[in-house]
Amino acid sequence: MSKPDVILEANDIYKSFGNVEVLKGISLEAKNHEVISILGASGSGKSTFLRCLNFLEIPTSGTIAVHGEPVNIANGKPTNPKHIEAIRSRLGMVFQQFNLWTHRTAIENVMEALIYVKKMAKNLAREKAESLLERVGLEDRMHMYPSQLSGGQQQRVAIARALAMEPDAILFDEPTSALDPELVGEVLKVMQSLAAEGRTMIVVTHEMAFARDVSSKVVFFNEGKIAEQGTPDEMFKNPKTEAFQKFIAKI
Amino acid sequence: MEPFEIIIEYWPKLLDGALITLKLTFLCTLAAAIISPCLALFRVNASPIAQAPLRLYISFIRGTPILAQLFLIYYGSGQFRPLLQEWGLWSFFRDPFNCALLTFILNTTAYQTEILRGGIMGVNLGEIEAGKALGMNKMRILQRIVFPHAYRIAWPALGNEIILMMKASALASVVTIFDILGRTRQIFSRTFDFSIYLWAAILYICITAIFVLIWRQAELRLNKHILPSDHLISADDSFQSTTVKRLRDE
Repeated sequence: MSKPDVILEANDIYKSFGNVEVLKGISLEAKNHEVISILGASGSGKSTFLRCLNFLEIPTSGTIAVHGEPVNIANGKPTNPKHIEAIRSRLGMVFQQFNLWTHRTAIENVMEALIYVKKMAKNLAREKAESLLERVGLEDRMHMYPSQLSGGQQQRVAIARALAMEPDAILFDEPTSALDPELVGEVLKVMQSLAAEGRTMIVVTHEMAFARDVSSKVVFFNEGKIAEQGTPDEMFKNPKTEAFQKFIAKI
Repeated sequence: MEPFEIIIEYWPKLLDGALITLKLTFLCTLAAAIISPCLALFRVNASPIAQAPLRLYISFIRGTPILAQLFLIYYGSGQFRPLLQEWGLWSFFRDPFNCALLTFILNTTAYQTEILRGGIMGVNLGEIEAGKALGMNKMRILQRIVFPHAYRIAWPALGNEIILMMKASALASVVTIFDILGRTRQIFSRTFDFSIYLWAAILYICITAIFVLIWRQAELRLNKHILPSDHLISADDSFQSTTVKRLRDE
């Protein structure tokens, strides 16, 4: 577990909801600077897997390690739950529905965790939030509430909010699926620039162009298992499994 | 006596009663404001077995008349006088004001707990998850995300409950407390002038009106994040702006 360039390692993750087994032994590691796209039909377990990585869903069993600090899970109980908050603060998360705090302005959304998790002084947090919102192109929208922003703008605030924690890796859970088609581009552009900066990202997506052009690795989920993985080039030019062939044929 | 003569003569007494009414309402609301968030959280999170006693209490309070609850505590405590004396609680229960206050606290706490439970359950789960995902601990999530939303959602119903409680506090006059109604009855028994009841009604209406004004200002503040902006009115803003317009017009 102490490979130096491995940021995040998930080992043999199982997850059941009642009698339905959604994840059937998934192992995945993310190395530094890697951009991993997770593809799969709905119901294949890809979002559940992503949510397991920062314990928004507690896996039924498996091991998750961020920077070599492992949390083992057996029978749906993590062995050292105190680690979970630390792991969460090291992994950024961007949601499909943005999940901005609607009662706080854009800049307050970004400052919140800096002040209350990182214990940063307010004025420093404000400076940092300002530069992050500039980074995602929202310097003129800082003091607006989420209800006053378009979906694409909200998602960019959410990305800035995740970046504020200086996470070791950022998880994206279908970040463009809730957006109007004309707003998808602005969010993908920001994500692309993050990839170019060398950020480690794990992206559950339906954007084939993003998976093909931006990611360094593509993972295809099918019925709770990893059916196929590889570089985008080999995956898209030469799909090996029938399931993945069918999946890309549909799109 | 003319209606104005009676108010000129007796307004200090009526005002005195108003202070008692306000004191009762304020104290029981304050106590409920401290207790009910904890109980509401318990109602949302605890297992059905663990919260059975709490549900029993709430069902009892909601299912019986507040006057009966007041009699139960005021006259009932007399029955247990030796026991209460032994515990050193008799001096508390001997005072009718305390009995009334305790009754009203028990009563309004039950209602406010249920109102706030609804508010907590109305909080968008995604916003809570966003807090978790950033590594916020449970207390922070409650303090920064859950309760701000829960109070915003519950605010109109809470205001309603406080108004109902203020008026219900008139029942205290039955157990010899000189609140507004107590004073009014006292004045009436001396003057046999019915107009004092009208003055009492005006006083109640004034208190309610002032309270509603303050409460609505607070509500507008709590809702400021869904006020329509001047810069950008998009399609999904139209629903929210009608809500806000309605709030303003009322």
